[in-house]
Amino acid sequence: MSFLHPLALAGLAAAAIPALLHLLERRVPPELPFPAVRYLADAERRSARRLRLRHLLLLVLRTALIVAIVLAAARPLLPSRATGGSLHPPTALVVILDNSPSAGVVVDGRPLFDRLKAVAHAALARAGAGDRLWLVLADGVARAGTREALLAAVDSARPDARRLALVDVVDRAARLVEAEPVPAREVHVVSDLQRTALEGAVSVPRGVRVLAIAPADAAPPNRGIGTLTLSDGGLAIGVTGTPGTPPAPLTVQVRGRPVARALGAPGTTVTVALPASPPGWWVGEVGLEADELRADDARPFVWRVAPPARVSAATDAGPFLTAAIGVLRDAGRLATGHDVVFGERPGPGPSVVLPPADPALLGQVNRALATRGVAWRYAEPGTAGPLAAPGGSLPAAIAGVEVTRRYRLVGTDSAAVLATVNGEPWLVRAGGVVLLGSRLDTAWTALPATPGFVPFVDALANRTARGEAALREVEGAPRVDFTTDGSDTVGATVSRIDPNESDLTPAAPALVRRTLGAELARDADFASAAFAGPRLADVSGLLLLAALLLAAAELGVATFTR
Amino acid sequence: MTVASPVPQRFDLLDPAEVSRLGGIEIVAEGVVEGFLSGLHRSPFRGFSVEFTEHRPYQPGDEPRYLDWKILARADRLFVKQFEQETNLRAMLLVDASRSMAWRGTPERLTKRAYADRLAAALALILLRQRDATGLVTFDEVVRQAIPARVKTGQWGRLVRGLLDTPDGRGTAAAAALRRLTSLLVRRGLVVLISDLLFDRDLALTALRYLRHRGHQVIVYHVMDPAEVELGGPPEVRFRDLESPASVVVRPRELARAYGETVRREIAAWRTTCRRHGIAYHHVTTDLPFGMALRLLT
Repeated sequence: MSFLHPLALAGLAAAAIPALLHLLERRVPPELPFPAVRYLADAERRSARRLRLRHLLLLVLRTALIVAIVLAAARPLLPSRATGGSLHPPTALVVILDNSPSAGVVVDGRPLFDRLKAVAHAALARAGAGDRLWLVLADGVARAGTREALLAAVDSARPDARRLALVDVVDRAARLVEAEPVPAREVHVVSDLQRTALEGAVSVPRGVRVLAIAPADAAPPNRGIGTLTLSDGGLAIGVTGTPGTPPAPLTVQVRGRPVARALGAPGTTVTVALPASPPGWWVGEVGLEADELRADDARPFVWRVAPPARVSAATDAGPFLTAAIGVLRDAGRLATGHDVVFGERPGPGPSVVLPPADPALLGQVNRALATRGVAWRYAEPGTAGPLAAPGGSLPAAIAGVEVTRRYRLVGTDSAAVLATVNGEPWLVRAGGVVLLGSRLDTAWTALPATPGFVPFVDALANRTARGEAALREVEGAPRVDFTTDGSDTVGATVSRIDPNESDLTPAAPALVRRTLGAELARDADFASAAFAGPRLADVSGLLLLAALLLAAAELGVATFTR
Repeated sequence: MTVASPVPQRFDLLDPAEVSRLGGIEIVAEGVVEGFLSGLHRSPFRGFSVEFTEHRPYQPGDEPRYLDWKILARADRLFVKQFEQETNLRAMLLVDASRSMAWRGTPERLTKRAYADRLAAALALILLRQRDATGLVTFDEVVRQAIPARVKTGQWGRLVRGLLDTPDGRGTAAAAALRRLTSLLVRRGLVVLISDLLFDRDLALTALRYLRHRGHQVIVYHVMDPAEVELGGPPEVRFRDLESPASVVVRPRELARAYGETVRREIAAWRTTCRRHGIAYHHVTTDLPFGMALRLLT
């Protein structure tokens, strides 16, 4: 037996009231003089057995009456084999409605999300008053609520720009319902079950049932704009989508004007040239021909064309560096000025600091760095080894270049490390100061003699030392937001949907079962497969009837047995 | 124009408590007796001797022994003498003054003792007006007052004073007192016992039977408060006996029926037993008008 309102069972304590009243009432009865006590004693002696029986009967009837009323209030549910037993045991249920962008695909002329909503609605509509309910959408938030509130939330849901971390959400939902003190626990997964969403595995707790809508048999064709990579003068467009979908034309627009066209198929990368642009912030968009999923057919991008850095090199910078700066000035990549200073001492602004040729000056350099507020300093000489650049804005050509002499760089901020030798920091950027572990001289490193040296100096001056414009990518509806500091634009945020949303290939049923630990049900069968606990009948009506009969019996006994 | 004559006040038919508020025992008794006697044509009591009243012509079938021989000798006519029963008797009123008699169910009613006193006073007045010698004995554990039966002037006042001088019950009516009573009643006569009969029935009947055996005419007034007949009270109560340490906790509502049956059975037992022994038994409650109680004797 289970109860719809188990808290009401606390009222069973009231069943002790008749017995308590009986005992308390007998404690101190008032005392009155009465001459005919002998008649009373005789009457009581004659009717003692009847009175004891009456008292016992009344006590039993009153206690049973209270018990019946309390039980009726708790809405007891009993297993029922009859078809009339339409209730299920109190269930903790989380409905996960996947309203990620992929759910917006149109299949057979009907949005897939409408079908998912109908399934979720039908499942929730079967919930009872004793169920604990939550609804989880793509944002991953578990919304607790009544059946009516969650049905309204389902009806008003729209496809969202965020991707649903399905495995993670199912895992959290299973743990959520596991903690509920109810007889049954279920997690309903109403999703298009993209193959790409099923990575990892859910450890479904014992006693929790995961029911998922069966994945589609066929994958809807789709193309989408995946990754966009800007390099000097070019844009690499990664086209994503359902494998096997034929290629489709795509258009690149800059500030609303088409600048390039290409043909792209899922899994391919298309590179197009962008026109030379003067310094400033530039916004463009890559668009695909409309298909079944519109959410991934366009993606914005943004880039900044910065003016050449104005640099100056101290006399102690060395001949190789001075020559490279001269080349870059001639090419228009750098200008003369004091935006960035190369030398053995940090300047007041962005600086590139080289270790001094004289080891005796190392202490002065460290003190100057400390004065500038840089948390890094030069330490003892390090071992020779090849350069390794973890990535970022440095040219890839410097990787592997031999370093024969260097000072170890000591600091605490590992995020500041841009290149290493033998795993130890060789190039770090702390605030506006870039520290090199070696002088840019062939006596220290082979870098000045390599083709990558001039691009390396270009990168140091234009990007590393001066700092790059802050560009961020976030998940969301495709758009660009600029960050300003006063009247200056200092950064931009590009919102785009997750590229994995474009691949609409459904997971195989076996993968769904294995990953989510789920039972599968077709759309039409989903609602009936939900709430799999034994069918129960609410017997509160019978208990109320019993309470009425008990009340009548009590009245009869109290009235007619005096 | 006619004026309606005022209806004479019949004290004997009024509520005893209301009547008692009009004055002392004497006034109540006199009022009751006046009202009571105005409704009767003959004495309610039958005496032992006879008294000549008139002559009438002899008719065939008359007893020859009632012929008046003197008239026959003087006038040579046959007359027979007629007699009327005499009301001159010796009556002794026994009033129970035990503690249980000093009880009433509600303050609006008379106590059983007060009712018994007034009833006894009225009875005495009736008897004395008939020139019947009347005495009084009040008793509880012992005999408290014993006034011999007399018919002389002022007897009624002595009887009333005897009633007033007997304090409200100090103990229980005991068989010993009843036995003592029997020794006080040497000459045959009328004995009227007014009591709530809350003592051992067998012992009481032994004493009453003895009186009957001695040739007394015995009348018993069983006085009860209405609250003793129909049990009531709070939902649960401890009833404490007035004459013993006994007490009993009851719920009056649930015991009322059984109690009523017990009381009715007790009354029936008294009535049956008394009738078997030639004793007149009358059950009265303290809300019964005195006139109705007196009328039980007619």
